[in-house]
Amino acid sequence: MKTLTILLLVVLLSLLPLFAGKYILYMTIHILLLSLFSLGFNLLFGFTGLLSFGQAGFYAVGAYACAKILLSVPSLLLGILGGVVMAGVISFLLGLLSIRHTRIYFSMLTLCFGMMIFSLAWKWRDMTGGDDGLVGIPRAPLEIPGLWKINIATMESYYYVVLVSSLLAIYIFYRLVNSPLGLTLQGIRDSETRAACVGISVRNYRLISFTIAGLYAGLAGALLPPLENTVAPTVAHWSHSAEPVLATLLGGIYSFAGPIVGSFLFYIIKDIIVRFTEYWLICLGVIVLVLVLGFRGGVASIFYGKGGRE
Amino acid sequence: METLAFQGLVGLSLAMYLWLLAAGLTIVFGVLGILNFAHGSLFMLGAYFAFTFYGLWGINFWLAILLSLLTVGIVGYLMERLFLRHIYHLDHAFQLLLTFSFILIFDDVAKMVWGGVAKIPAMPSFFEGTFSVFGRLFPIYNIFIIGSGLLVALVLWLLFEKTWWGKIVRASASDREMASAIGVNIPTLFTGVFVLGAMLAALGGALGTPVRVVAPGIGAAMIIQAFIITVIGGLGNLKGAFVGAVIVGVLSAYGILLFPVFELFLIFVIMAIVLMVKPQGLFGG
Amino acid sequence: MERLKTKRYWPQPISPEPYFTPLKGSIGEELCGRNLQARFCEGALNNQERRLCEMSTRQKLVGFFCLIFFFLTIIVSAPAFAQPAAKPLGVEVIKIGGMGIMSGPFLICGRVIMQGAQLAIEEINAAGGILGSKLELKFMDDELKPAVGVKNTRYLVTDWGAHFIIGVDSSGVAMAIGEIMPELDRIYISTHASTHRLTEELVYEKGIKHIFRTTTPTYQEGILPAIIFSDRTKFPGLTRWAGINCDYEYGYVSWSLFQHTLKKLRPEVEFVASTYAPFWTMDFTPHISAVMAKKPDGIFTTPWAGEGVQLARQALIMGVFDDPTLKVYWHPTGVTTDFLEAVTTEVKADKFKGKLWISGRYVHNWLDIPENKSFVKRFVERWGLYPFHPGQGAYDAIYFIKAALEKTRSLETAKVIKALEGMEMMTPGGLKYIRPEDHQAVYTAPAGRPVIDPAYPIAVMGHFHVIPAKDYFRHPPFEPIKIIK
Repeated sequence: MKTLTILLLVVLLSLLPLFAGKYILYMTIHILLLSLFSLGFNLLFGFTGLLSFGQAGFYAVGAYACAKILLSVPSLLLGILGGVVMAGVISFLLGLLSIRHTRIYFSMLTLCFGMMIFSLAWKWRDMTGGDDGLVGIPRAPLEIPGLWKINIATMESYYYVVLVSSLLAIYIFYRLVNSPLGLTLQGIRDSETRAACVGISVRNYRLISFTIAGLYAGLAGALLPPLENTVAPTVAHWSHSAEPVLATLLGGIYSFAGPIVGSFLFYIIKDIIVRFTEYWLICLGVIVLVLVLGFRGGVASIFYGKGGRE
Repeated sequence: METLAFQGLVGLSLAMYLWLLAAGLTIVFGVLGILNFAHGSLFMLGAYFAFTFYGLWGINFWLAILLSLLTVGIVGYLMERLFLRHIYHLDHAFQLLLTFSFILIFDDVAKMVWGGVAKIPAMPSFFEGTFSVFGRLFPIYNIFIIGSGLLVALVLWLLFEKTWWGKIVRASASDREMASAIGVNIPTLFTGVFVLGAMLAALGGALGTPVRVVAPGIGAAMIIQAFIITVIGGLGNLKGAFVGAVIVGVLSAYGILLFPVFELFLIFVIMAIVLMVKPQGLFGG
Repeated sequence: MERLKTKRYWPQPISPEPYFTPLKGSIGEELCGRNLQARFCEGALNNQERRLCEMSTRQKLVGFFCLIFFFLTIIVSAPAFAQPAAKPLGVEVIKIGGMGIMSGPFLICGRVIMQGAQLAIEEINAAGGILGSKLELKFMDDELKPAVGVKNTRYLVTDWGAHFIIGVDSSGVAMAIGEIMPELDRIYISTHASTHRLTEELVYEKGIKHIFRTTTPTYQEGILPAIIFSDRTKFPGLTRWAGINCDYEYGYVSWSLFQHTLKKLRPEVEFVASTYAPFWTMDFTPHISAVMAKKPDGIFTTPWAGEGVQLARQALIMGVFDDPTLKVYWHPTGVTTDFLEAVTTEVKADKFKGKLWISGRYVHNWLDIPENKSFVKRFVERWGLYPFHPGQGAYDAIYFIKAALEKTRSLETAKVIKALEGMEMMTPGGLKYIRPEDHQAVYTAPAGRPVIDPAYPIAVMGHFHVIPAKDYFRHPPFEPIKIIK
């Protein structure tokens, strides 16, 4: 039953360009990016119990790295890889500093680091273009030098690139989470002392979790510049960090598909609300309020109970 | 030399203003255990009410401030009784999210009720004028802010150290179970503390109206700074919040004078350094 | 023994149950507990507490129905999948997509764009529309963020079917949406965003012909004052300038243009201090005191709308205007209605001592022409506030579109571009000419100082200082401006 739904969804997504308009494709790409972003975030939050408010910083690192690469070497593969690697490195380094803390202090420290990356992006005009950001980023062709080269200038072809990358990333995440690593992380979340007594290095596992979250944020970020052709520092602002938090909350913190479902709902809700009214903040606020008071497991819990079985 | 001293004084008035903001936040965290994002909204509401009473309805400035304190106190009371009470037992992440939703809601409510255009009331006549300090002109208003900040610090210190109610609050903050075992009515106490925090936030907002505009979103803009100060000082620690505010305010002012390029960074760098050197904040633990 | 009621309010960390069944004998089983029927709340000892944590069937039903309702809303409001391309003129409705900032201290600027455009649309529709087609406006909030601006633009064009895009306050947003206009094949008319780079770089150098602008660019902020204040007879001793600027493109560019131009016209000036204030700066006192420490003769400022109000108020209480050394305080967007309203009491009491200089891209009480007088009257009647430049620019944008469409009798983008180039029209802001090189509307806007005029309830501009546009606009070929900090 479950595999059938997933298969159906994948088929639907693959055939989307055939019957959907350009804007729907654009929206779907954004939803996929937000899903990747939220998945990584949920590894930290739902599975390891650490609420990070600075994930947008790593998203920005991935986006800017990819943009800089694409501006000099027009190879999409290199750009994405570069973005992911840079984000991973930065998240590893910042993780070393952040992991010592927990709970509130951890959240504050990550907020801090995220905003520092934002300030850096805003001020360092020579490197990042300052508040204007980087413009004119080409939607470079996908090529493996010497083998083949695919031109992906149209929205449809780029959609397929994003779709394939996302499905791959989601599958990797699935395997990751259903491995001993995933279980260990949950063990740490549930009881730190018990885990430490069993001999698990809590700190190391948290660091691993942080880095993976950073990698996924970086991947989501790296897929952004070829879509929009611009990168601006606002992608590093803490209000952007709040998006995966809200999306994951909406979808269900304690389930695997929660972030994905939540991203879809969050994006659609926001998109629809802003079409009709300028007062979208209050709508969003009320939704979050209702969720926290009544539906803490998110949408997933409506279907699966708080247990959130997939 | 005089420039530096004068800039330091400007930084001090900035610091006292931030202290007004951070005081309520840290008290609420220390006693209730909630990091209240909505503190920024209460600040904004305090400013809006003060603007309405003083700027639109022409009530005497001091009376207007008092009225706005009371009104926001009522708002805080309702917020605590109707919503926050139900989430004390939850993970801190949910508490953050609930209070975050309040910011979103209040921002739009302010836009709907007051129209959203940035407004500022007329300048009260007793604030016009300057003192000559260090060869430069220092506004009476800034002196008033410094005075208010110090007064509030004194009052809070007296409240928590010398009065009976303050002792109970401190006891509940350190060991809730024991306090309730000896008969303290914890829920009522929490409401009281939250209302105190709300009124402190409103005070900050109301006192700012002569020189700052009221607009939706000013709360969200200030709340990050308030958070950082409370974290630097140690969450729940009033002395820490005071010292943290002074550090941030004065260093900000010097940053603008001496290192303008890094000013945007500065507050975050300070917090990161403090947290890495002393993870629980300067006076926390 | 009955549990103490107060325990209910204690913040106990809820340990959420694992979503996954640990393998038998694995370490996961040890860590996650063998109780695979785990309740959501660890430590829930009785039914009362469990009810607090788990979701009842009723809650589930409510949630389910919310979801159904939500999906129904999507379906009802879902866009048509096959979006028809722009039809030639002969569509029932010509759609105008607008954007501006609708939140924060700058809200008035976004809202007035909508108001100006809406007024124009209502007038045109009442007179029969454009060649029989009515106009419709959809206005969205760009939150001053380029990403949101781009997304809204894509939505407005590909989904809603906008034929034209107007507006935007932020230079950053304008630059971002300007870049995607060729892809979307629509015309974008800027009505406020003022960076000269929009027209000089994107239109003139890169050749993106889809961008136009109906309001003055940063020449108004930077070059006009340099010309005015280079006059040695009128402003002797005005040689030391300091700047309190916005910490983004608009601030850097204006300040650089000013320094560049003034240095050429009056070589003896020096620029003694410069600070930058980011978005959402509430307290400018450290900036003001840092700048006043250097004892400047003139202060050049760029913070606008609500921030401009704060800066002026805080400068006032810091005694900036009482300082005998200071002769000029320049606020280039001081004609915004919220600023004039905020300083009315002070202007009445002459607190600024004649040192506050303001300007704007449109001044409602300057031109004594019938177009202007009736526009102001209609705007005040319709919206209850005096118009200022983003609103008037949007009003003009709609009328330019009307004139172009009546000329081409077609909605084809390339034809409309050709029609707009070189078009000259009498507007409430004066005679505007869209020069073909960079699609910038060329017209004159004055500088002056705020005065009290009994005909108006709030302060207005007076002591007009008029310099013809051709003297303070830059002309091609454009030499690039180096950003001087």
